[in-house]
Amino acid sequence: MSVFTRSQADREALLLPELASLTAHHRANSEGYERILASLGIAPDADFATIADLPWLPVRMFKTHDLKSVPDSEVFKTLTSSGTTGAGASRIYLDKEAAGAQTKQLGATLQEVLGGERLPMLMVDTIGIIKNRRSFSARGAGVLGMANFGRKHTYVLDENDQPDVEAVKKFLAEYGDKPFLIFGFTFMVWQFLYEVARDHGLDLSNGILIHSGGWKKLIDRAVDNSEFRRRFKEDTGLTRIHNYYGMIEQIGTVFLEGPSGNSLYCPDFADVVIRNPETWEEQPVGEPGVIEVVSTLPRSYPGHVLLTEDLGVCNGIDDGDWPGKHFSVLGRLPKAEARGCSDTFSGAAA
Amino acid sequence: MTTLTQRFPLSDAVSVGDLVDELRAAPPGGRLRVGDPRIVEFVTKFARKLLAPATARRFPELASLGFFLRKGEIAKALSTLDTSGSALRFPRGLVFHVPPANVDTIFVYSWALSALAGNHNVVRVSSRSAGAAEAVLEALNAALSEVDASVAEAVTATQRMVTYDRSDEVSGALSLAADLRVIWGGDGSVAALRKYPLAPHARDLTFPDRSSFAVASVAGWQRASAEERRAAAEGFYNDSYWFDQAACSSPRAVFWVGDEPGAAAAGSEFRTLLASVLAAKQHVTEPAMAVQKRVSAYGAAVDGLVKEIAFDGNGLATLELTDPAILPREWLGAGTFANARVSSLSDLVPIVLRKDQTVSQFGFTAEELTAFAHELAGRGVDRIVPFGSALTFSAVWDGYDLLHEFSRLVTVQA
Repeated sequence: MSVFTRSQADREALLLPELASLTAHHRANSEGYERILASLGIAPDADFATIADLPWLPVRMFKTHDLKSVPDSEVFKTLTSSGTTGAGASRIYLDKEAAGAQTKQLGATLQEVLGGERLPMLMVDTIGIIKNRRSFSARGAGVLGMANFGRKHTYVLDENDQPDVEAVKKFLAEYGDKPFLIFGFTFMVWQFLYEVARDHGLDLSNGILIHSGGWKKLIDRAVDNSEFRRRFKEDTGLTRIHNYYGMIEQIGTVFLEGPSGNSLYCPDFADVVIRNPETWEEQPVGEPGVIEVVSTLPRSYPGHVLLTEDLGVCNGIDDGDWPGKHFSVLGRLPKAEARGCSDTFSGAAA
Repeated sequence: MTTLTQRFPLSDAVSVGDLVDELRAAPPGGRLRVGDPRIVEFVTKFARKLLAPATARRFPELASLGFFLRKGEIAKALSTLDTSGSALRFPRGLVFHVPPANVDTIFVYSWALSALAGNHNVVRVSSRSAGAAEAVLEALNAALSEVDASVAEAVTATQRMVTYDRSDEVSGALSLAADLRVIWGGDGSVAALRKYPLAPHARDLTFPDRSSFAVASVAGWQRASAEERRAAAEGFYNDSYWFDQAACSSPRAVFWVGDEPGAAAAGSEFRTLLASVLAAKQHVTEPAMAVQKRVSAYGAAVDGLVKEIAFDGNGLATLELTDPAILPREWLGAGTFANARVSSLSDLVPIVLRKDQTVSQFGFTAEELTAFAHELAGRGVDRIVPFGSALTFSAVWDGYDLLHEFSRLVTVQA
């Protein structure tokens, strides 16, 4: 069953009460969250007229503070991610129920483009990324999480991080004539799959590519989303390409690119608000701002309304491939840095 | 072998061994004296370059520096070194300065005072220096070409500003060669440099992490005219926003001293005035900084330090403390102020730590402030200054009389 069905009006009507009750739930169960809202003067019985009225937390709070809405004894899994800012790791606490819901909803979301069947899967990464469980990177977690949605996994890179063309050829010979799944981080997909497939004339036309991770590393090569899609189509036959946007702080919630490309869509249990960084009001369609991600999944920690550190723009409402808002990610907010006489830059001396 | 880039005087890269040898030699024209006229002439010429309208407009902090180094100011500072009786004052020798990477100009104050005390100096300028620091180096090099040849020779022989990549070899050799090592830039920098031993007779002059707060008298506020209140907000703006509130001497908390209703009224009027100063100065807060402030403010709430958070736009965040004793001392983002009330300055005495550097004040009398200082008894707080003067550098800094630190005494008895 699809999770891309709700118009924006339906979404507001159905999600708002659920999100408001989640807000109350987190206030009742997370002392830290309650203190934040209380110090902002938000009354316990406050009424929220729209999703955009809900109080948001900066996502970086999960790097600086432990915020959870379940007792320690019920914590089933703690997710950590270092992120890219180097400001320590986010710690996300899941209880059993939340962990189950995350996997289930991620699956439901991906089913939209994968169908119900587990497809043979080409992983554009090295097996090494998931082997060292102790130093589990965000990339490793992504690869491992996504591996569940496929079978007969073939890794594109060998143990020395070199493209294993023979392995890819063998995979395609065996499974390439029917739909198969390709997963990887955007820059790796470009560098290791696209370039290899082009140079060896590989046919990827039955592939369904799911990728994420941003375009920053591809800017130098003058590759944006349109160019990415165009070149894959022309040189490898691959047309079913779905970028997605998501973060470990809202794991289970992915904003998936629609079939026509260049816009990300919210699953039915999620929404986005693009905020003006001056007034923090919601921006109209077409005006860039800071992305806030909203999801009903986070129940074990107060992560249901999070202000990200990414810039984005809402491209339209109920007028794209799927209903609801659709948006693009424009890049990261530049990091805040201060001048001063203290060690604001660590390791300034020696 | 690591070489050092010579930024002032502009010259070829040099090995640390050669640099130390050159700096140890007596300069042409004879060893520098305390207040050596050659250095005074050079520094004065340099100050005039900083005060040139084009430079001062681009970097207002350089105008302050130029003002500090004018001939009259230098003479006044040097006059504090007059010794009586049989003690003679001499330079310490070779001084190695390690300034912070992220304050563009502090290395110049430290270097200039040390040079005026007659020392040979080597200053490590960060490779990340930019803007004002580059302008300083340009002005120094320009001044050098405009002074008498004899002055230029003496300066070139004794004063060096260098850049080098992180290197145990260089930091170690310069530390060992130094008679005095001056470390700015916080606890981390001090700890990192202390790995390198000094010569047995040498010592460190350190400027570790500090934090500062403001005090405002409720009675003083009530006595003040509308104009004085407005000026207080402007002064406070300069103290706080010039270096994104990250300078050690920028206030991070504001204590209103007096009765509760008076403090509430004064505090709220002050906040409104400060917000209007921000608007008038067209202060811009980068979105990332605005988010940083939310993270800090919400974090303080989670930690139980704060009972009320108020935002006046992105530029000004006020955090009402649950208890004045738990003021946050770390940087929370540009324009984020902890706020609390106390009944008297005496209430702050137990709260003060050695780490506290500057108290910016409004509305107190000299007697009240002196009594406060006596109560603190040197346990913390190095300077008490009016709103608007928090960032004004002085030859007495962090409790050190710098010219005295940069020189030594020799006694002679016949």
